Amino acid sequence: MTGRFRRVVAALLIVCIGGIGAPLQVQAGIVSTDTVVAGAERERLTSLLERGDVSAQLRTLGVDPAMARDRVAALSDAEAAQLAAQLDGLPAGGSDFLTVALIVFLVLLLTDILGYTKIFPFTRPAATAK
Amino acid sequence: MHAVSTPAAAGVFILAVALAAGCAAPQISSLIERRPVGLPQTAEITAAPFFPQEDYQCGPASLAAALVHAGREATPESLLPQVYLPARKGSLQAEMLAAARRHRLVAYALAPRMEDLLRELAAGTPVLVLQNLALDWWPQWHYAVAIGYDLDARQIVLRSGVTRRLSMSLDTFEHTWARSGHWAMLALPADRLPATATESAYVSAVASLERIAPAAARQGYATALARWPRSLAAQIGLGNASYAMRDLTGAAAAYLRATSDHPESADAWNNLAQALHDQGSRAPALAAARRAVSLGGPRLPAYRETLDGILRAP
Repeated sequence: MTGRFRRVVAALLIVCIGGIGAPLQVQAGIVSTDTVVAGAERERLTSLLERGDVSAQLRTLGVDPAMARDRVAALSDAEAAQLAAQLDGLPAGGSDFLTVALIVFLVLLLTDILGYTKIFPFTRPAATAK
Repeated sequence: MHAVSTPAAAGVFILAVALAAGCAAPQISSLIERRPVGLPQTAEITAAPFFPQEDYQCGPASLAAALVHAGREATPESLLPQVYLPARKGSLQAEMLAAARRHRLVAYALAPRMEDLLRELAAGTPVLVLQNLALDWWPQWHYAVAIGYDLDARQIVLRSGVTRRLSMSLDTFEHTWARSGHWAMLALPADRLPATATESAYVSAVASLERIAPAAARQGYATALARWPRSLAAQIGLGNASYAMRDLTGAAAAYLRATSDHPESADAWNNLAQALHDQGSRAPALAAARRAVSLGGPRLPAYRETLDGILRAP
């Protein structure tokens, strides 16, 4: 509860201080393209809060505050909403290259053994490849 | 994310891959059986750039390859502060899309279909993919760039990790790709339509670009209109991007075209009213605003505000 409250306050402060997330093209009187595409009116305040929320989360994950602001500005409304709701649960692609190299080696070794590939000179296919 | 530390983990992994790799993958099997018309048997973008990844930075490395291929200046180092999350040792998909937009490119998320992926490769566009190389309960997320394939040999070619040209079984690839939800994206200059683009997905991708690069978005809407001349969202988007660039004449022209093709669109009338009003054409602006209000819809309060704004102006 307190955490959530603090995040909302932080989000508000960020909005107030940085003026972030105020979509550049939102003008009085103009219906935005995002709205037309989505076919529904968006709560602009919600969107601002979400962007502030994402920015705060990026900073706790080690992103420089100035960078965090620019990164959030490049998100679409839908992406900002998704990250605000479930950033922790989303995959962050970034395997260590040694792990990747090892896994790829194991996969290729296995496909070699199964007869799908022939990369390593020392493998003998278990079955004849078609 | 975690280093493979124990032989036990490796053993479990081998077993799991054996189960996965042993059976042919569904999409690629059906593709090879039906051989869709117009899909070449083989393709490879040999000129696709390659940046070997360092540490956990397959996201910045893969993205740099896609951006440089699209004609932008980028390196894994320059992208690090745009997509990398130090505490998560990785990059989020949404931020990969956003970083492409920051380079004035349309970031287009592909439909989760192997056929679409291969068609883009055949059209000469490298495809950035997210794979889960291991298992759902022990994920090893990995970004790579697909650059070619060979249907007869049943292989896909990737720029991956520290390997410039990694040839992998299409079945194995499909299994690892399926575990990321078949996620794939393109980064294209706004004057080039993806080979597999659909109207709604493409216009929506351009709309996301409008927020930070209105000039590129304007080009993207023009590209969409060349292919789908009557797209309402692209017509309004063209107007909005022009309006954001303070080109009122261009904006009014685009909205006018939208109201003429889609007289039932209150949004088009509303935006036309605002652009005309800003140009100082009071009478036509009032007429357009009244039309929007009379059509109504979920955004009626916004149309009423536009009308009031015009009425209140001296």
